[in-house]
Amino acid sequence: MSTATATFVEVARSRRWRAFDWQLLLYLLLLVGFGTVMGYSANYQAVGGDGLSQTVKTLIWTSIGLTLFFVAANIDYHWLQTFATPIYLVVLGLLFTTELVGRNLFGAQMSISVAGIDFQFSEISKVLMIVVLAAFLASRRERIGRLSTIVGAGLLMALPTYLVYRQPDLGTALVFVAILLGMLFMSGAGIGWLALLGGVTVAIAPVAVGALQEYQRQRLFCFLDPSADPQGACYQVVQALNAVGSGGLLGQGLTAGRQNQLGFLPVQSTDFIFTVVAEELGFIGGMILLGLFALLIWRVVSVGWGARDPFGANIAAGLGSLLLFQITVNIGMVTGIMPVTGIPLPFITYGGSSMVSLLFGMGLLQSVRVHAWKPTF
Amino acid sequence: MAEMDPMPAARPSRARFMAAAIIAVILFGVLAGRLFQLQVLDGAVYAAQAAAARTVEMPIRAARGLIFDREGRPVAVNTPSWTLYARPADLPTTESERSAVLARAASLSAVPLGPLRQRLTAYRGSPFELVPIGEDIGRDAALLIAEQGDQLPGISVGAEPRREYLDETGAKHGELLAHVLGYTGPVSRGELGELSALGYLRDDVIGRSGVEASYEEALRGAYGSDLLERDARGRPVKVLERLSDPVPGKNLMLTIDSRIQRIATETLKWGLEAAGVAQGVTIVMNPQTGEILAMVSLPTYDNDKFAAGISAADYATYLNDPTRPLRNHAVSDIYPPGSTFKLVTGLAALEEGVTTVSQRWPTYACYQIPDAPAGQCLFDWNRRGFGPLSIVDAYSKSSDTFFYQMAVGLGVERLGRWAEELGFGQRSGVRLPTEAAGTVISKEWAQAQGRPDVFTGELAMAGIGQNAIAVTPLQLLNAYAAVANGGHLMRPMIVRGETDADGNLVRAYDPEVIRELAASQEDLRTMRIGAREVITTGHATNINALRVPGALSGKTGTAEFGTPTSQGVLPFHSWFVAYLPSQAGTTDAELAIVTFTYAAVVRGNVSLEVIKYFFQEYFDLDQDLRREFQVNAN
Repeated sequence: MSTATATFVEVARSRRWRAFDWQLLLYLLLLVGFGTVMGYSANYQAVGGDGLSQTVKTLIWTSIGLTLFFVAANIDYHWLQTFATPIYLVVLGLLFTTELVGRNLFGAQMSISVAGIDFQFSEISKVLMIVVLAAFLASRRERIGRLSTIVGAGLLMALPTYLVYRQPDLGTALVFVAILLGMLFMSGAGIGWLALLGGVTVAIAPVAVGALQEYQRQRLFCFLDPSADPQGACYQVVQALNAVGSGGLLGQGLTAGRQNQLGFLPVQSTDFIFTVVAEELGFIGGMILLGLFALLIWRVVSVGWGARDPFGANIAAGLGSLLLFQITVNIGMVTGIMPVTGIPLPFITYGGSSMVSLLFGMGLLQSVRVHAWKPTF
Repeated sequence: MAEMDPMPAARPSRARFMAAAIIAVILFGVLAGRLFQLQVLDGAVYAAQAAAARTVEMPIRAARGLIFDREGRPVAVNTPSWTLYARPADLPTTESERSAVLARAASLSAVPLGPLRQRLTAYRGSPFELVPIGEDIGRDAALLIAEQGDQLPGISVGAEPRREYLDETGAKHGELLAHVLGYTGPVSRGELGELSALGYLRDDVIGRSGVEASYEEALRGAYGSDLLERDARGRPVKVLERLSDPVPGKNLMLTIDSRIQRIATETLKWGLEAAGVAQGVTIVMNPQTGEILAMVSLPTYDNDKFAAGISAADYATYLNDPTRPLRNHAVSDIYPPGSTFKLVTGLAALEEGVTTVSQRWPTYACYQIPDAPAGQCLFDWNRRGFGPLSIVDAYSKSSDTFFYQMAVGLGVERLGRWAEELGFGQRSGVRLPTEAAGTVISKEWAQAQGRPDVFTGELAMAGIGQNAIAVTPLQLLNAYAAVANGGHLMRPMIVRGETDADGNLVRAYDPEVIRELAASQEDLRTMRIGAREVITTGHATNINALRVPGALSGKTGTAEFGTPTSQGVLPFHSWFVAYLPSQAGTTDAELAIVTFTYAAVVRGNVSLEVIKYFFQEYFDLDQDLRREFQVNAN
């Protein structure tokens, strides 16, 4: 047993780490591992027989993410509550920066490049906005049921949502809305007012859809009838359905999915990664992944349940909303029951920004758990 | 969790947690259910759709059947033709490197760079397809380019089978059998719709004329196919399975003997040149079986030009030539048979009892047409008349006025019926494209011209093969062959059977009888005796000195045609049709021949001289009885 391991075990045995949610870490590691393997397979053909170069990148991002996970788990999350306002300003700053210097990726300004590495600020903004919103809702605890709570939270969320929507990144904008609704609901906001907000959202939806680019609009409605334009806008949906269906019960085997390996899934390593899971690992593989997600969400919910204060509970609610929304919409999209919006599958979709941001968020969750059983200050 | 010192006030309500949990369970349940539906319930459907989208059937061409002559000499073969290809996706991307590669490919293949570039820029398909940029580049150039492949990214060469037509010596010679063999040509865009259902491909070839066209199905064979898997960009990745093996086309053996074809061609050429005639036909046949041993139609054309892809200029030259070299005059054109038709009139007169063998009829300088005003008469070619003649004498001397009387005695219906009995006015059914049917005399023929019935004068003229009667050279030969063989009207055959790759006959096609003539053996024999008399004492005695092994029998014919020359001479077609039994009147002839020459203005029967020359060459006789032609100045 090496010294480092011994130290780790000692730390783990310390009082503070006694509350550490090992299950959460286990599920995260399994998910990240699952994603890494699927990413390898998705790029198997593209890079001439080995998907290593992207896999190496994924592992680097995962290491950074896990480091942030432990860092975040170690700091007391209450500390962040006091920084809510600066964090909010940072979010706005990041999104403005993206607007100004963002690189054109698939016709959308979605990332900026730092030292040759693309980083999508919208990903970390999701987690940071959860913190901001959690702090706001915690501060409104006495007046949580009032309309002003909902209006305030809505106003807080409106600007970042608008900025990502303008990039244009419809997916992330929708995630922001989902986080807002989820957190309001879990924090105890008035159910009548929430219903009203939901109604307003539904009413605004056609306007938002109308403001979309033509290509986004076409993709959006493919799920209703993929055969409308199987060679054009709905090509991805048709090919995704073929790939998922081809997987059958047991799948075609890792790196052996024909739709995947022959390039019929244009963005198979990113938003459509689940098609690779379904095609190569079949219904069984898909259920294993869904099961892991379910376990993860169960951990998130139980941390929220056990949180010492509304701020911690709100963070858990936000993270839970984010995960549930992204999982549902992403898998719904590739299985043809949800419109195609660019929403990544947490921990599985290739992308450093998403991975780092999510692991950081999970670190915060761990912190809520670790710091729930006694006050730190 | 609750036991870990919770602060109940901080906790959201239990109801909301329950609601959230229920929502999560429902959402996961929907996703799992959808996956179960897609993968387990409908998995096969989607798998089939996916397989259909990423697989493509790639046809495998079958080798076109070879064609041999009756002695097993190859006359139509497949030789590789080398094509230069570019695959746009694999060419260098920078303009300068791309230019360098194309320039190098052009210089190695000796294809001019300009057209080569033009074809590449004009191409509008997938960049992964092979684009032909130079045809027929030669084997050496092809090998050189293949060797230097690594320095020529995106450039490749391929071999495609091309038809090559050979003569009796095995040399490339596209003229000897042009009309018999025909040629192949590319399938046109317009035809493709219909033909693709039969398995024809975009750049396929199809038989266009001759045996290549009439035996297209047998020669083509059946294409096979491979099931290929391709990637999303359409590039073939691998062969999944062989769906069907190609079945090579059948190799055919012609009834033609290319040596006889050569003799028939050269002797006819000599006759046409010597007489200043542009068009002519010689057909040689075995009367016992109907097998065509030679079929020459002059002028001819070069079917190798078509095999190589004929240029527009060459094609236009052929099309605009007034002698119509692309037409097979032996089967596709009809001409008045002249006196050769007296066989029909004579046989009918005997059969119908218009005359007996021994009955003698007066002949005239000019035959007064019955029920026509006095003085309206039809001349005999012999303006003095022959005096009283029996049918054999009249046939051998070719008396016109005798056969006018026979025709008038028969009437339209009986003469027409006997013409049809002998195969006139209908296609023989030889397996060659565009066969003409010809016309025989009938009431309908007159009515088609707006008259109630045939004039008696027309009937009389029909009796000597003029006016209403028009025949193909093949029909005439076949009618004589039927009389020569004892009354079996045979279906003329052009393909004898199927062979192996070396030209050995492996399956012979049976000769086919169209019908047994409804004529008595006695009357048939009388006409054969008459045909023998033509040679020995009659109209064609100048061929009698030829020492051919047998009792040569035949009939001459001439038919005036067209407009007089400046000297006032009417051009005329000349015919000679002959067969060679062992003795006068026997039915054992194995050789029959007809020659037709078109619109001559020389004295004498050009066709008779051609056949004389043919026999000299065919039997390798040390005789030369040919006469020189003198321009007929009248």
